[in-house]
Amino acid sequence: MTGTSLRTYLITRLALVVPMVFILLTLVFLLLRVAPGNPIQAALGGHVPVKVVHQIEHRLGFDKPLLTQYGDYLWNIMRGNLGTTITDNRPLSQIIKQNGAATLELTFFAMLIAIVVGVLVGLVAGRYRDTPLDVGGRLFGVVIYATPVFFLGLMAQLVFGVWLGWLPVSDQASPITQAFLQTHTNIYFVDAIWDGNWAALWDIVKHLILPASTLGLVTAGVFIRLTRVNVIRTLRDDYIEAARARGISERRVLFSHAFKNALVPVITIVGLNFATLLGGAVLTETTFNWPGIGHELVLYLENRDYAGVQGIIVVFALVVVAVSILVDFLNAYVDPRIRY
Amino acid sequence: MKRRLRWASAVTTVALAAIAAVIATSAYGGAKTAPVIVDGSTGTVVNIDPANEYDYDSFTVDLNIFQGLYGFPHGAKLAPVLATGCTHSTNLKTWTCHLRHGVKFSNGDSMTSADVKYSFDRVVKIKGDQGIYTLLSALKSVSTSGAYTVVFHLNTPDSIWPYILSTNAGYIVDKNTFPSDTILANTDTGHMIGTGPYVLTNFTPSQQAVFGINQHYWGTKPKNGGLIIQYYDSSSTMKLALQNKTLDMAFQTFAPNEITAMKKNTSLTVHSGPGVVIRYLVFNVKRKPYNNINVRRAIAYLMPRQDIAKRVYHGTVSPLYSMVPKGLPGQTDAFKKMYGAKPSLAKAKAAMKKAGVKKPLPITIWWTPTHYGSASADEYVEIQRALDASKLFKVTLKSAEWATYSGALGKQYGAFQLGWFPDYPDADDYTVSFYQTGSFFSNGYSSKQMNSLIKKERGAKTEKLRYTYLRDMQMLGAKDLPTIPYWQGNMIAVSQKAVQGIGNTLDATFYMRFWLISK
Repeated sequence: MTGTSLRTYLITRLALVVPMVFILLTLVFLLLRVAPGNPIQAALGGHVPVKVVHQIEHRLGFDKPLLTQYGDYLWNIMRGNLGTTITDNRPLSQIIKQNGAATLELTFFAMLIAIVVGVLVGLVAGRYRDTPLDVGGRLFGVVIYATPVFFLGLMAQLVFGVWLGWLPVSDQASPITQAFLQTHTNIYFVDAIWDGNWAALWDIVKHLILPASTLGLVTAGVFIRLTRVNVIRTLRDDYIEAARARGISERRVLFSHAFKNALVPVITIVGLNFATLLGGAVLTETTFNWPGIGHELVLYLENRDYAGVQGIIVVFALVVVAVSILVDFLNAYVDPRIRY
Repeated sequence: MKRRLRWASAVTTVALAAIAAVIATSAYGGAKTAPVIVDGSTGTVVNIDPANEYDYDSFTVDLNIFQGLYGFPHGAKLAPVLATGCTHSTNLKTWTCHLRHGVKFSNGDSMTSADVKYSFDRVVKIKGDQGIYTLLSALKSVSTSGAYTVVFHLNTPDSIWPYILSTNAGYIVDKNTFPSDTILANTDTGHMIGTGPYVLTNFTPSQQAVFGINQHYWGTKPKNGGLIIQYYDSSSTMKLALQNKTLDMAFQTFAPNEITAMKKNTSLTVHSGPGVVIRYLVFNVKRKPYNNINVRRAIAYLMPRQDIAKRVYHGTVSPLYSMVPKGLPGQTDAFKKMYGAKPSLAKAKAAMKKAGVKKPLPITIWWTPTHYGSASADEYVEIQRALDASKLFKVTLKSAEWATYSGALGKQYGAFQLGWFPDYPDADDYTVSFYQTGSFFSNGYSSKQMNSLIKKERGAKTEKLRYTYLRDMQMLGAKDLPTIPYWQGNMIAVSQKAVQGIGNTLDATFYMRFWLISK
């Protein structure tokens, strides 16, 4: 197996995406249909006569056989048509563009915080093993990892938003900024820089701090433990001993040899944690009223909006698959021993 | 290598310092423009296009942009808006309306009878999936007579037609910008043209709606420089945003304990006025044991209205003794007259004796956890407590999420919680909707006497006579008990101290007229 080329590996990996996405689409489709109720009942039930509800269900094809609905659904997906949401007639493409951009902004900064905090604390804890610094770092890692993201978010809102009044508690920007900011990419941080609107940028950065820190810190818990373990293991390796024996300064041994190598497995985990980060983003977005794609997913789930939920989950799945392929590919490229 | 690193560090530090300096010294112009009101809401806007708008949150947006021939511009009294008045034929099947002259849409187009006919024809033709077209079920056709006269031809006599004209099914849109056979997307603000005090300049789904002033508005200009409605997932986040001064005000909807907490906050003002939202318990009158009128009567005698209002809602709702809320013309406290103002165990016992029940009767009551707010759980625990304490009933509570619940109602449940927000603020909407044969909640109630009263009410030639029939309907409803009303919500808004004018819009219409608010 080790003789398989990188190209073959990549093709195999890509080919596996098709059944994976297919299974996921089928599961989502079935789960939504198995759950009682439909979007029309959710919107109109308890308000208009049952006869009208049935007429509208018929017009939208909700009374068609399940297999026919499933066939239509797959056919549309294959044509790249994710459709339009039922409850508010929004094209899925618009949701991906607008809300996806907000999620991208949040997850990017959260990942940045997770890496910086996770790696720094992990390095320090590993280097100063069994000292108070190590104990503190480990404790911080465990506590932060075990804290539910919405709880941490609520605490942050209360302390920094309400009690201290330093930071805004919700949204991607203040209502006025949001209303008057010219959107080019829908990533507000980029849009504000694009227009040279520094006041808006400052407002956006202030709004980013709490949600990105909340999501980032929870994710950092994993990185702290992993980095620490790898630093400890690397510091025991022979080549570190050899470097020291050659008289290389301790600082250089640490930064140029030990830390660099200790971080290789961490990079893999960073990629794999992307899926976890997206899951956390759903909760963080809900806590901070962050208008991301996870925030929309929750709304459409509540209203049984088949098209909305299916479309967003497909996007989530494709993003996670793309990132994991990228990580696998990078691993295979860096380490020739990795092949199917 | 070391030198390179030092240089990189120095350059980065200088760059960061420069950015910080620019940020610190720059002023954001947008924040200093006209006094725009920023309102918070936990609502979800479904469709802004009036041809498919049938929920309160979308209506709150539409109220700023569109107007009907009739409306409620000042309080709960119906008044002509885009019409100067309407007259009806003796059989109430033809209504002739004369339009106000000089009215322009926000894009400068003049409003004429052609726009009115176009707007009504459009709603009927599109038959939007939100079901608003059902309000026009009595409409046979619309014709025009000159540029300023419109004639509505109806299938059946309809005394409440002017009320229908006040709903968004009767909102007038610009025929030049609205497609005749499709719903306009919420984000297509360039074509969302009406005659109201504001113009929708931007709409970002589930985030915000931005309104500018309609420069062609025919009425009194708004007291503010514009409006932003910011949408929130949860009331707790909205409350924090209000405390944080991100919002000037918030309307719809806080939990009772949040309102109590904000009343203690000295920087905020809690405004309260009469409301039209009601909660009631529905019985499937064909299903055991609720098919026994005496069982239903025993529950009516035990309904803990005061306890629910005080303990669960901290006084933010009032006990309700009719399906019609207090404040609307034609309302009568039918349940108070028939079952008393407070629970009566003795009368409940007598009713159960008549029903032939000796042991505590096991019953199941359904409720839904989120659709009507988180307090629903406590509300039904209170009802359970009151019924169990009587030793006449042994209550089991069951709940289901709205998407499931709304599809089941009377088809599957014997007794269940429901709430109502009116299509138009009139006693008719609170009686006919619940008491006519084949009502939307499928509870099996059918009464010849009630149907006859409904027919008479719809055909009444004077308001006085109409209200007489409406009062009779409320009394008959209390006697037959297909439903038991128990509370009426107040209209509550919370604002910063500097915000003025909210009190002027809190009335029995439940209309938030943002144009009356300033800061």
